[in-house]
Amino acid sequence: MQKTLQYDYRHLWRKSRCYVPFFVLGLMPYHVFAQLDTVKKLKEVKVSSPVVPQIQTVTPSQTVTNSDFVKYSAFTVADAIRNFAGVNIQDYGGIGGMQTVSVRSLGADNVEVLYNGVQMNDAQNGEIDLSKFNLINIQQITLFNAQPLDICQTARAFAAANVLSIQTIQPKLSFEKPFKIVAGVKGGSFGLVNPYLQWQQRINKYWSFIINGYDENANGQYKYKENADGSDTLATRKNTDVHTQQIDAELYWAKSDSDKFNLQFNFYNSNRGLPSAVVLYAAPSTQRLYNRDYIIQSGYHHIAKNSFELLLNTKLSQSFVRYTDTGGIYNATGMINENYMQREAYQSAAIAYHILPNWKLSYSSDADLSNLQSNAYNYAFPTRLSLFNVLATNLSLGRWLFQGNILNTYIDDRVKSGTAASSKSAYTPTVIASYHPLTTKELEFRAFYKSTFRNPTFSEQYYYAIAPRPLKPEYTSQYDAGIAYTKTTDGVLEYLTVSADAYYNNVKNKIIYIPARSPETPSVVNLGKVDIRGLDVVLKSQFKPFYNWKATLSANYTYQNAIDITDPTDSYYLEQIPYTPKNTLALNAGIMYKQFGVYYNQILASHRYSESDNDPQYYLPGYSVSYASAAYNFKLNSIPVLASVEVNNLYNKNYVIVNGFPMPGRSFRFTFQITI
Amino acid sequence: MKSIQLSYLLGSIALLTAITSCHKDKIVNNQTTPTAQRAGIYILDQGYSSQLSALTYYDYTTKTLTPDIFSSVNGRSLGNTANDVEIYGSKMYITVDKSGTVEVLNAKTAKSIKQVKFLNGDKDSTSKEPRSIAFYNGNAYISLYNGTVAVMDTITYTVSKYIPVGNDPEQLAVANGKLYVANSGGLNYPAVDSTVSVINLSTSTVTKTITVGPDPYAVSVDSYGNVYVAAYGVYGSSNASLTIINSGTDAVTSRNNSYTGGPFAINGNNAFYIDGDGTIKIFNVKTFTATTTNFISDGTTFVAPFAIATDPLSGEVFVTDAKNYSSNGLIYAFDKTGKKEYSLTTGINPGSIILVNK
Repeated sequence: MQKTLQYDYRHLWRKSRCYVPFFVLGLMPYHVFAQLDTVKKLKEVKVSSPVVPQIQTVTPSQTVTNSDFVKYSAFTVADAIRNFAGVNIQDYGGIGGMQTVSVRSLGADNVEVLYNGVQMNDAQNGEIDLSKFNLINIQQITLFNAQPLDICQTARAFAAANVLSIQTIQPKLSFEKPFKIVAGVKGGSFGLVNPYLQWQQRINKYWSFIINGYDENANGQYKYKENADGSDTLATRKNTDVHTQQIDAELYWAKSDSDKFNLQFNFYNSNRGLPSAVVLYAAPSTQRLYNRDYIIQSGYHHIAKNSFELLLNTKLSQSFVRYTDTGGIYNATGMINENYMQREAYQSAAIAYHILPNWKLSYSSDADLSNLQSNAYNYAFPTRLSLFNVLATNLSLGRWLFQGNILNTYIDDRVKSGTAASSKSAYTPTVIASYHPLTTKELEFRAFYKSTFRNPTFSEQYYYAIAPRPLKPEYTSQYDAGIAYTKTTDGVLEYLTVSADAYYNNVKNKIIYIPARSPETPSVVNLGKVDIRGLDVVLKSQFKPFYNWKATLSANYTYQNAIDITDPTDSYYLEQIPYTPKNTLALNAGIMYKQFGVYYNQILASHRYSESDNDPQYYLPGYSVSYASAAYNFKLNSIPVLASVEVNNLYNKNYVIVNGFPMPGRSFRFTFQITI
Repeated sequence: MKSIQLSYLLGSIALLTAITSCHKDKIVNNQTTPTAQRAGIYILDQGYSSQLSALTYYDYTTKTLTPDIFSSVNGRSLGNTANDVEIYGSKMYITVDKSGTVEVLNAKTAKSIKQVKFLNGDKDSTSKEPRSIAFYNGNAYISLYNGTVAVMDTITYTVSKYIPVGNDPEQLAVANGKLYVANSGGLNYPAVDSTVSVINLSTSTVTKTITVGPDPYAVSVDSYGNVYVAAYGVYGSSNASLTIINSGTDAVTSRNNSYTGGPFAINGNNAFYIDGDGTIKIFNVKTFTATTTNFISDGTTFVAPFAIATDPLSGEVFVTDAKNYSSNGLIYAFDKTGKKEYSLTTGINPGSIILVNK
């Protein structure tokens, strides 16, 4: 019984944290509900089964964990999720190259990044550069279409079309071994040297902390083939050096699973070259980017015996960006030097309560104050107050599960110079349903509708604009219907999970930034209407062919027909939007023998166009890139050691993802890590 | 098995598209009325950041539209941000800003004759940013953003001199044996320049600096020797302006600080320009008065009118539309009464237009 309950708890917690109180606390008034169908069926599952990837969730979700990173030859968060269905990574190439992610063709601005449950916010540009995250301290990355599963969470987590949730490593230590130290170094091509250190410490029964730090240096240079200049020689990508330091520390207090507190601090410092789009016949100017970010955030989660739940999150952050451009800049100083300082204060409170054991209600309220300072000419110095309020509910009726919420977003800007944009407010709903037709719960049908509202970022609204641009917020609507199937066996096939989701999305008033001929010309408009029809198919399986052997095979397929429907008189009316392949396939296979594993990863993407016009001159051919890696865990003088080698672009193919930004050829990365 | 099929499928899709999407010329049947000696029209497409420039050509006789004749003929691309195109004699010259080149082509075939580099050092150094080009007595005069005008021989392609002018010079034009260069200072925004350098073409020295409106960029000359200088102004603190200089005396005839138009395309007494409201207006260079009605008589409108040119032989007026500045543009041809004759698809940011004779 104890075991079963543990499993129940674990499973349900993942599925929806809402159920936690009944089982964890074993409350008498609710004990009858432990007999509910949903729980009862789970008892048939063996606790010793392998951890089955959880794709059978009410809205589609895909997860990659710490131990998988080597399988995908991943160095950054973007690398780790490039295999996900529905994901389209904009990779500008090289080791310090910017990486942003678009999900289901809705654009990078419509993907929210949650870092330990709290949104990483960029009020200036809206997009989070995923190359900034090193994987060393990351436990798990999950992409949720629509939103995370739990309804007791920050209001902002409901606000985006798609959510990428990053969880950092939490110490799990015992009285007998109260500390753990992980030290390692990664190195290889691009002149990469990346030493890192992690210290986990148990203070007492309730308190523990973890400290991570790394230093990354690389020259980043690589050769590429340039076809457009008529030459046959290889060119070298320059101004690609990266120098990054990151330190983060987290303090944890946990009295129980229903009474937890954490406090975390992050410091990120980076100085890197920004290789520009390839310039033919001449060298580009030298652009550099300096970042210095500080984040302090804390969270408190409490679940009372009467099922009342409280989640508090607080964040203060400061993000400094300095952009310079030198060499061939014909102004008085011979250089461009722009500084931007973003400061943010954020508070979120969420409460939830089970009105009935199968019916939960939650309310979340977030307030965010963001301010941007800059040395740019004629800048508005905007301060934005954003308020998010969500009322959400979760109802399970037999084999049915229903979730729904309504979000109000309120935005109010103040500016130090000029005029502020008028305040905006919108209500956006989400409706989710799932159904398990079989008593075994192996099969799930699911569907959701979600509407989102995206206010123009500071750059879109104010940059080089004396009056705020008359922009309307961007609206997205998503409709999804899918099926998920999970089979676990005691035979050779340990598990097989398959899911397929068809979706229809549309974007209204898409905000488009236009590089006009002079910077003072208003260059941001509400132009676009996009119509997206797609299909995501996810397959994951694990086999145990022989004793001590294990094999995994996964395949993710994405079909996206994303067409511009703005205006029938446009030359690109009904044509595929830029940088969106119609077909993408990601394959991953691995074989593990005891502590040794080899992995192969393949990504195929069909052709794309770099511009709205699907004309031959903007055609980017499809590509197929292979990755291979091997990892070995062994003991050296009783110290656990991990050694791995990763080969990126195994067959040394020339390809581009973003026009003008060639991708590197074959490269290697080695990791050596010890754990004390 | 499933995955293998899918990869085949992907491969075949890619292959199929590659085959069907070869760079092909399009036949466009237009009701054109070109004069006998015109062979066709070139449109220079600037592109933007990562999208390379292109040279679109429409052949009047065969009625074929070639999206980028430069790359089809020469097997390489023009480069980054081609800014100006002119024909002098039998050759066509294109200034390519970021690539630091002046491409010299056979005007009829677009076949490359010479690529002249304007770099700050040897190969792999930054561009001096060639912007605009003008010609006089066998020499090409090229304004460079590094604050000079290069004097290049049009037979040997050697640069004999770099004449220092103001900051970030843009367009330049010849009148009365003198070269008028607009010093924009645009890269010092908002502390822009507001001068025109006058270069004596027999001595290749600056003889005078004339004050005009802030951020001048366009220079055109009429048959009476008047020089017209259009300036952007500084957004929020000064207006766009039009200054008229008498090239005989180099005195400023007038300066209109409420000018809302763009560069002039002059045909006899009529200077056509794109006005701020997206209409086409005519400035009479003899009477110095502008029309208030739209030259376009058939109701044709533009999203983002970008460049204007006129054919003195046929009286036609050509206007390009940059649309959203990141997709293909259009060029419209209007007859002398302002009625649309035809339109053609161009590349991205069609910034210059030039007609070529047979």
